[in-house]
Amino acid sequence: MTARLRETLHAAAADVPAYPVYERALATARRSRRRAVVAAVVVLVLATLTGAVLPLTRTPVVDPAAGADAALPDRIALPPLGALHATDRPRLGPASVIFSGQARRLQGWDEDGIIGVVSADSDRYRIFSMGYEAPVGEQVILSPDGRYVARPAGLSEDGRVDLIDLVTGRTRRLHSKVTNSVGTSPRAWSPDGRQLVVDDTVPTDPTRSGYRRVLSIVTLDGERWTQLADAAQQPIFGSSVAFAPGGGRLAYQIGRTVTVADPDGRTVSTFELPAESWLAGKGAWTTDGALTLISRKAGSTDWSLRRVDSATGRNTAPLPVPGVTGVTAIRLLGWGPDGSALVVAYQPEPLSPDRFDQPLELDQRTAYPNVRGVRVLALTPDASAPRTLMTAPEQILAVDVADNVINAGRTRATNPPGMVGGRFWFWGILITVLIAGVVAYRSREGRALWLDDRRRRRSR
Amino acid sequence: MTETFHEFVVHRTPALSRTAYLLTGDHQLAEDLLQSALARTYRHWRRIRDTDPEAYVRRVMYHQQVSWWRRRRLTERLEAQPTDRPGDDHSETTALRLSLLHALRGLTPRQRAVIVLRFYEDLTEAQAAEVLGCSVGTVKRHGHDAIRRLRATALDLIDPTVERSYQ
Repeated sequence: MTARLRETLHAAAADVPAYPVYERALATARRSRRRAVVAAVVVLVLATLTGAVLPLTRTPVVDPAAGADAALPDRIALPPLGALHATDRPRLGPASVIFSGQARRLQGWDEDGIIGVVSADSDRYRIFSMGYEAPVGEQVILSPDGRYVARPAGLSEDGRVDLIDLVTGRTRRLHSKVTNSVGTSPRAWSPDGRQLVVDDTVPTDPTRSGYRRVLSIVTLDGERWTQLADAAQQPIFGSSVAFAPGGGRLAYQIGRTVTVADPDGRTVSTFELPAESWLAGKGAWTTDGALTLISRKAGSTDWSLRRVDSATGRNTAPLPVPGVTGVTAIRLLGWGPDGSALVVAYQPEPLSPDRFDQPLELDQRTAYPNVRGVRVLALTPDASAPRTLMTAPEQILAVDVADNVINAGRTRATNPPGMVGGRFWFWGILITVLIAGVVAYRSREGRALWLDDRRRRRSR
Repeated sequence: MTETFHEFVVHRTPALSRTAYLLTGDHQLAEDLLQSALARTYRHWRRIRDTDPEAYVRRVMYHQQVSWWRRRRLTERLEAQPTDRPGDDHSETTALRLSLLHALRGLTPRQRAVIVLRFYEDLTEAQAAEVLGCSVGTVKRHGHDAIRRLRATALDLIDPTVERSYQ
């Protein structure tokens, strides 16, 4: 039986007073409602922030064909502070332009040679670090479709080229097969993007008192490694390598000699360059199988293009394109659909001790200390003057443009990004949350006592 | 005419206070429990005022009393001065009542809720299960365990035949 239990329970309850809780219940209800509103606002803010930050860690795969609408931006800007890296999510996808230089934001914390990357069809900027000054277009080159960037491995003495895939964010390593190589630099992409011309530096003796250079053509998987040239160290060694449009021939300059070879390394022809002339650049081949040279008019800073026979080096039909004046040098990127030659024009650095109207080797003419800025110009047949297609701020000192952008002939008006980029926000938010967490943890006891005291005061 | 929240509290607080006290065994905690339950009731008053608000408050009190979150909050705290209550009668009403309060403290919140529902509110096992949001079997098990413990700690409260009725 439970009669005694029931009776005792009722007896114990009988003396319980009616607790005066009406006012306090109302206050509690209103406080809970306020907290619910605050919590909803916090959740909303967090959801918004999550929507901004989450794409950094997980985003859909970029369509490799996203570069189909690639166009040359009419201007480039310095990358924003805290810009995302080239391999960060969301992936950039194919690029239109890469650039380097000596502007503060391209120097990094320790002059580590930042390379800027501009998306093929939008004003999204990315960066990656080289660890040292590495001019794009010479040591760092963009693949014809804008998907890959080939670069030397950096400061390590590992003879290696890194291939950064801007679509997947992965980096593929291409190890040199040249014995004793202490450094490998990419020089040119084949038109189909499946082969790369690379330049190895090899010590001639164990004390490294001298070096020789080896130029090779390799497949991207590193399986096929074909030597093109092996020569003593000299200022111009494969700094201009140009593939013919179909990829069946390539031309490269070593010293004052231009060699035309096939992809199997067989020499087809060679010829000597006249004074103040150089192989024009990666776009040196014309569609009719001739080669283009850049030449400086003696005693001036006037530069022009001329067409020569690829077998003999003799002048052929003149190129009716305008010359470029007042520059340290020009470099031919390629040809637009209207027959325009697209060139990079290097603006002279006024404070340079060198004189650019006097003989000077090409590698010195494009060296950072001698250049103040660069522009991309279109030299249109029968035009009276060059047309500027792309400008860049001072101290952006080298640019490379994807072949598909050059060949498409499209340009677009741009609105480059502002002062700060994705990494700035990511780290800013993360550090703020961490500091708030540490402060909350360290003050937990005081806060608990305060909350408890407040609750007790309200309940009285 | 529909009762206002204030009228409801004025009329029903004495009975609700008693239940809260039996559930907690402490006046301060009982006040706290009733205050929380009424605050929640106030937030939903429009929805429940035309049904059975008192049943709602009781249900909230039972749920809060057995919830993990509330058990964490209701930590014991020493008062600077003991709280004086008119109903406190330490001279004794009976030794049995003291024995009951002592024994109830030895129960888990869920066991205690079952005891109050079954033997103070006089609900059936099915009704108690509905209030607590659990199965009848769970109510039986907690009731059985509670009676066994009460027998062990307050033998004079329980008739020896009661335990068998739970088996």
